Amino acid sequence: MTIHESVLDGLADVRTHKLRTLLQTLGVVLGVASLVAVQGLVDAGRRQTLDFWSQTGGLTKLLIVNRPPKETRITARQLASRSLTWEDAQAIKREVPWARLVDPIASTRLPVRYGDYQKARDISAATPDYPSVYRFYPARGRFLTQDDLESQSRVVVLGDTAARTYFGNEDPMGKTLYIGDVGFTVVGVMKRKEFYFNDEDRNALEWMNRQTFIPLTSLYARFTGDASQRVNYINVVVDKAENNRKATEEARGILLRRHGGVADFEVVNRGDRLAHAEEQGRVFDLTFLVTGIVSLVVGGIVIMNIMLASFQERVREVGVRKAIGARGTDIAIQFLVESILVTCIGGALGLALGVGFAKGITALLGEPAIITAKMAVVGVVASVATGLFFGMYPAFKAARLSPVEALRYE
Amino acid sequence: MAHASGRTRGESGNPIIRLQGVHKVYDAGENAVHALRGIDLDVEAAEYMAIMGPSGSGKSTLMHILGCLDVPTEGEYLLDTTPVSKMSSRELARIRNRKVGFVFQSFNLLPRATTLRNVELPMLYAGIGRGERRERAQEALQRVGLADRARHLPAQLSGGQRQRAAIARALVNSPSILLADEPTGNLDTRTGQELLSIFDELHAQGHTVILVTHDTNVAAHARRVLHIVDGLVEADQTRVVEAEGAVA
Repeated sequence: MTIHESVLDGLADVRTHKLRTLLQTLGVVLGVASLVAVQGLVDAGRRQTLDFWSQTGGLTKLLIVNRPPKETRITARQLASRSLTWEDAQAIKREVPWARLVDPIASTRLPVRYGDYQKARDISAATPDYPSVYRFYPARGRFLTQDDLESQSRVVVLGDTAARTYFGNEDPMGKTLYIGDVGFTVVGVMKRKEFYFNDEDRNALEWMNRQTFIPLTSLYARFTGDASQRVNYINVVVDKAENNRKATEEARGILLRRHGGVADFEVVNRGDRLAHAEEQGRVFDLTFLVTGIVSLVVGGIVIMNIMLASFQERVREVGVRKAIGARGTDIAIQFLVESILVTCIGGALGLALGVGFAKGITALLGEPAIITAKMAVVGVVASVATGLFFGMYPAFKAARLSPVEALRYE
Repeated sequence: MAHASGRTRGESGNPIIRLQGVHKVYDAGENAVHALRGIDLDVEAAEYMAIMGPSGSGKSTLMHILGCLDVPTEGEYLLDTTPVSKMSSRELARIRNRKVGFVFQSFNLLPRATTLRNVELPMLYAGIGRGERRERAQEALQRVGLADRARHLPAQLSGGQRQRAAIARALVNSPSILLADEPTGNLDTRTGQELLSIFDELHAQGHTVILVTHDTNVAAHARRVLHIVDGLVEADQTRVVEAEGAVA
């Protein structure tokens, strides 16, 4: 008896026992559905995190931040360290071969004035690498240049929201914006940057649109008069992810040397954070896998139970089939094909239901869910495996029946 | 009109069935039932034989062994010169499929399969392709006069029709022997007679037919009658050739 024929026989059997099949599949339907729906939500969440990261510097970004010593008694050495400086950033750019972009940023609150508008604002003092780090480019005009940096020019570049805040409907290009009492010429306006997490209608990257950029050197020269040229943080973008770890170590070494051995900074490696996130993701995955497996096992037990219950009425059939030449293998295959068929039907229904769930959740909660081909495959494989595993016992039990005894069975 | 044949082994060249000292013991141990106690039997090709005996005599057990549904506890069974007693269940399945056609008292058709499908089933297990299967199943149904019932389910057939379908199923793989266990037991007399005439015809066409019955009228269709009592052959009678004309 060929598999093809067994499938036809199995289908006929399923058709004649619709209710039984429905009951049998229920566990698998729900198991696969929850597996698919939950996995869809988790995958969507993970994809968003990755998207967000790539929007803000990608996975090859190292973030170097100040971390003042926590001890109450500060040593003279610690006191002598000046925190992160522009010099540090330049040293990293010089000495770390894998550092593709180095972008130190100093942020200061200063009064901003144009026409009637006057308010204290955070001013970002940056370098020309900034747009490349954040993939944040001017919509009009230009960003700060190396020339601006060297000549401490009085030019300003505005985020989209900042431009609107200061200039309303006026065209800001070429206008003079007063920062402190110094007039800065607007040379560029950035493209809007937007990113929406899940259900939030808040733009997670709105802070970028609110920024007011001036050359780092202009901040020191015209406002703070800071001879040590301190910065708040330094973004370093490494050429490729494999070099993250090395670059992190090297940057740390350079900074330790320059800070007289005082670790008053921290190098945060996005790659490590990703690994951490992946680690957490794996825990999630494992949890869902376990719940999924548990529900499939329950589904499988239901299938086995019903198969065993209906076994009694099929003993005679097995006897007849054996009497006319069915081998044990034929009988086993027939039973297995049937249970796999039932679970596959369950799996397909579960997949549909799961997609429905995911869509429903998306519609109701605004949580995006993605359904991948991988999940469809996982759903089908899981169903087949369930059918195979739990069909095994009834199948072999049937295969081993002696024809005479099976025929005698009433 | 009948004489005890007293056949002995070696009298004929190659009997289609040869049992030598066949014993069957069920439930070995304290409650062992000795169903067959040493049966010797030769059946020639194209014979028509009835097995008779009171219930519990072991005639059904004998039938099961002849049909390879069961194996002897002791002794040798040569089917078409092939020793069957030591065969694996897989080999036995093959024998049941190709060499033996079995007809049961309770028909034993699969209730959810059409008549045609039921008749096709042995060919399915023989691995015969769809086209040939259809054709041969139709042919077999024609032989038993059921060609117009091919698409019916067993439940839509009368008892006699069901048994005829079962005969078609038994014949479809052209077996060497046709075994029938009380084939008319569930049928009224008239239908039973109709059915027996099919067996008569099959015998006339050269089939080896063995049927188990407790009904002498049924047994009268066979030329040879084997009486089994307490697991032993009590009598083995073959009617003289002249009697055959009277039956046919």
